[in-house]
Amino acid sequence: MGYKGKVCDKAAPDFSSKLTTLDAEAARIVARYDQKGAATLTLLHLAQDACGYITPQIEQWVSRWAEVTPVHVHGVVTFYSMYHQAPVGRNHIRFCTTTSCVLNGSEDLLGHVKKKLGIRSGGVTADGKFSLEESECLCACEQAPVMQVGDDYHGQLTVKKIDQILDGLK
Amino acid sequence: MSEPILSRNFNIPNAHKLSVAEPRGAYETARKVVGVLKPEDVTNTVLAANLRGLGGAGFPTGKKWQFIPKDSKKPVYLVINADEGEPGTCKDRYILEKDPHQLIEGILIGAYAIGSHKAYIYIRGEYVKPYRNLQAAVDEAYAKGYLGKSVFGSGYAMDLVVHRGAGAYICGEETSLLNSLEGKRGYPRLKPPFPAIVGLFGCPTIINNVETIACVPQILKNGPEWFAGLGSPGNGGTHLFSVSGHVERPGVYELPMGVPLREIITQHAGGVKGGKALKAVIPGGMSAKILKADEIDVKMDYDGLKAAGTMLGSAGVMVMDETVCMVKMLYYATKFFSHESCGQCSPCREGTGWAHKLVTRIYCGEGAVKDLDNLLVIARNMEGRTICVFADAAAWPIQSYITKFRAEFEDYIVSGRGKAVAAGFVSAGAHGH
Repeated sequence: MGYKGKVCDKAAPDFSSKLTTLDAEAARIVARYDQKGAATLTLLHLAQDACGYITPQIEQWVSRWAEVTPVHVHGVVTFYSMYHQAPVGRNHIRFCTTTSCVLNGSEDLLGHVKKKLGIRSGGVTADGKFSLEESECLCACEQAPVMQVGDDYHGQLTVKKIDQILDGLK
Repeated sequence: MSEPILSRNFNIPNAHKLSVAEPRGAYETARKVVGVLKPEDVTNTVLAANLRGLGGAGFPTGKKWQFIPKDSKKPVYLVINADEGEPGTCKDRYILEKDPHQLIEGILIGAYAIGSHKAYIYIRGEYVKPYRNLQAAVDEAYAKGYLGKSVFGSGYAMDLVVHRGAGAYICGEETSLLNSLEGKRGYPRLKPPFPAIVGLFGCPTIINNVETIACVPQILKNGPEWFAGLGSPGNGGTHLFSVSGHVERPGVYELPMGVPLREIITQHAGGVKGGKALKAVIPGGMSAKILKADEIDVKMDYDGLKAAGTMLGSAGVMVMDETVCMVKMLYYATKFFSHESCGQCSPCREGTGWAHKLVTRIYCGEGAVKDLDNLLVIARNMEGRTICVFADAAAWPIQSYITKFRAEFEDYIVSGRGKAVAAGFVSAGAHGH
């Protein structure tokens, strides 16, 4: 899971006005749980969906709503692979490289994606359109090989199918 | 098996919507149970059905429910483990996405049996579409009064919250899941105390897998004898087997507990792809010990696979044909476990990392035969020495791949063909970060 991206990004944009628009939803989320701290993961999802990635400012915002320390929130952010600490592409790709997908040729297909986009795992294309992450099992093994682009799963991948999917995105 | 039970709605369009699910029987059983039957009678019925936890551990569900203290002053929670993550497994996704009302009905009955008024479903973060269908189903159930202050007008209050994870395999371990649900890093907890005594927010908690709880309405509807009779002795009901890898028809198959592994592969999944010969099968998700081609005449239930030296686990069957390189498969297995170790216990954090480095060295043609023995030593020193069973799960592929395919590993090392593999790997662009 490890360290991802810059933690103290002085160049990080100011998301305060965006976060203000999320306050009403944050209040609803916190009310759902028996303890406020339990809302931490859900609040992070909410903020990341709106802002794209998690900055120290967002960690502070979550910590105020969940009534936990900012360092607790940061510990959570670094533990879970779905929280980004640096901007990702408009289309974030999780490419599965676990057993069933490997058995069905995911190594070569991942190589194709890297060449096509000109980035390595963890990279973002210069135009900000795509980012790529090697993922562990997405649990769609019956459709292997599989990748997730944004929210959507795509299975039974071939070079042709990958090209069609990626070329069709904005 | 005549009719599918758990999967009966998988091919019905829009069965995730109440308007389709309800005419097909959704909530019919829960209506006759919640506020009507005695909670202990519900538990005894589930116990008599021989329902066992279908997430992997195989613990009798009714017995687990009985662990909740009768005189608890604290609230009791039911938590549903929908953090499907075991490689080779894709069954719970079908229930969550295609038939969520079946799950909610099971939750109503299960929560009533243990005296819980609040349940949480912990669904893995990557399952976005299943989450949306599930959340929409929960909203529909609230709107109809099937959830809320008085379930079916019975006076029994029941709240249900869907909680998304954020990409950590370890959170499928039940105590890690509780920490994650409490908004913390997903570190497993020491047991005892067991969650039934000290669980979510320090309160008595039952954690059940999606498929397990989805079986409950059918048990109450058709009786425990019927359910027990579907499976094998001590292993009630049917199971959703996820079949992937080198087979003609990969998919999720609902079959009776105890179905022979050979039958799953050759009949239901259409045999090995392209008519190739079978080399090996992982019968119960990545953590289960591998079986060689001549070891697949086993019954697929908890007891049958235990007798064969492996486990049913999550029933994720991964099939490998004769062309598969076991060194490569062990490389990917150790990569998985070193990536997903939570880092809390040293034997696991260090052991999974060392093992992956050693296997990488072998895979890239830089290994020595003695590395195989070192790998076995590392595996032995991980097993049983940590807070949770993740380290054991990481040790089993190492032990079983190397001991069962030792000659292939030695030949790979001695022949030096790994150097060519490494070169091809790099030029294909599939290596590194």
